[in-house]
Amino acid sequence: MKPLFRLLAPLALAVLASGAHAQAVLDDVMAKKVIVIAIPTDFPPYGFVGTDMAPKGLDIDMATYIGDKLGVKTELVPVTSANRIAYLQTKKADLVISTLGKNPEREKVIDFTVAYSPFFQAIFGPKTITVKTPADLAGKSIAVTRGAIEDQELTKIAPPGTEIKRFEDNNATVSAFLAGQTQLMATGASVAGNMMARNPNFDAEYKILLKDSPNFIGVAKGEDKLRTKVNDILVAGKKSGDLDKLSQKWLGRPAGDLPQ
Amino acid sequence: MVDFTLWDILRNLLLAARWTITLSIVAFVGGGLVGLALLFARLRGHAVGDRLIAAYVQVFQGTPLLMQLFLAYFGLALLGMPTTPWIAAALALTLYTSAYLTEIWRGCVASIPKGQWEAADSLAMSFSEKLRHVVLPQALKISVPPTVGFLVQVVKGTALASVIGFIELTKAATMITNATFRPFTVYGMVALLYFCLCFPISWWSHRLERKLHAGR
Repeated sequence: MKPLFRLLAPLALAVLASGAHAQAVLDDVMAKKVIVIAIPTDFPPYGFVGTDMAPKGLDIDMATYIGDKLGVKTELVPVTSANRIAYLQTKKADLVISTLGKNPEREKVIDFTVAYSPFFQAIFGPKTITVKTPADLAGKSIAVTRGAIEDQELTKIAPPGTEIKRFEDNNATVSAFLAGQTQLMATGASVAGNMMARNPNFDAEYKILLKDSPNFIGVAKGEDKLRTKVNDILVAGKKSGDLDKLSQKWLGRPAGDLPQ
Repeated sequence: MVDFTLWDILRNLLLAARWTITLSIVAFVGGGLVGLALLFARLRGHAVGDRLIAAYVQVFQGTPLLMQLFLAYFGLALLGMPTTPWIAAALALTLYTSAYLTEIWRGCVASIPKGQWEAADSLAMSFSEKLRHVVLPQALKISVPPTVGFLVQVVKGTALASVIGFIELTKAATMITNATFRPFTVYGMVALLYFCLCFPISWWSHRLERKLHAGR
């Protein structure tokens, strides 16, 4: 997926640079009275499905919150971490609220609003394995989701001899770890928290922090009007305590200090 | 967190299987029709047409279906052509299936001895008469096992349509696993469902083969 995305990204930029749609998204949204927002369905508690297969979670609540504040209907599109940026670039979604972390590579192809919720990635493993510093990772196998922030961070700190096994989505990463195919797992705190709650006999624990990376909302490159509008909503939501309430509801702690 | 009962899991997987079935039918029918048209065009034996179709087959056999789906959905949108997931999936699956089927069938027709064509020629049959009365009935028998083998592949290949937002069997299973953290239960059921879809096709092909050969 990733090489493909790299291949497409310049093409996307070329088309966007032609300026055919620049700055028009907010007007379109207000005219149609519908905002299309890309959300995750494979990442509890940010986005997952209930028994009726309807998506729910922090990102979904955030999406409807923004729709409500804009006074338009919110249409949710389920995406994966592999195709969420493509949805934005091809205007198939107006916003991406999908546990999107900010990094320079992504900033080249899309724009970001201010942060809306906290997040951190770490390495997890059973108590029987001692991992205190990155150097302890040598000779150990670690499951990680390909192309995710934790993959990039892990690749940076892992000493030679670390066996990194990459999987296509969080679910495969967790499955591989639980099945004993890897000794450790690098993932978001929420995923690991859920995994540990569901498998108490597995006796997994937090090992090393990889990165504190709050989530941002993704906007197509150059859509400053929409970005400013969403920023206003987020800043007001932070002040009124709405963002803290959302975090409290899904993550069990307030949003805290988020980067602007 | 949500608690899925076994029935909840099975029920949602069955609902998602509708997409797998629909996408498969689209691929079978669309790919079959286009593949047949390409086969006829190729049998006509125009050098340019022949080379174009050979190139078409190479393009779709030589690139992954995942990429074809991705380009049909996102690529066309980049070029300013709005596509819905439906159009993109139908387009990509039809092109992909037709490329394989036309090549499979060409091989089947090519396996009919040249003498059969010549014998039909000596009876002053036209091109379509030769195909209808002499070549295709024989090629049909040979084509059943490879065609069905490929169709079973297509059923499993529809799982890739999740990259453009289709919540079909495999994608639904991923979503449920992420909410339940019971991968073995969920994927076990999924494997069983795929088997229930593919096995009847293979079984029917065996019967068809026997029936066609009985007439000999």
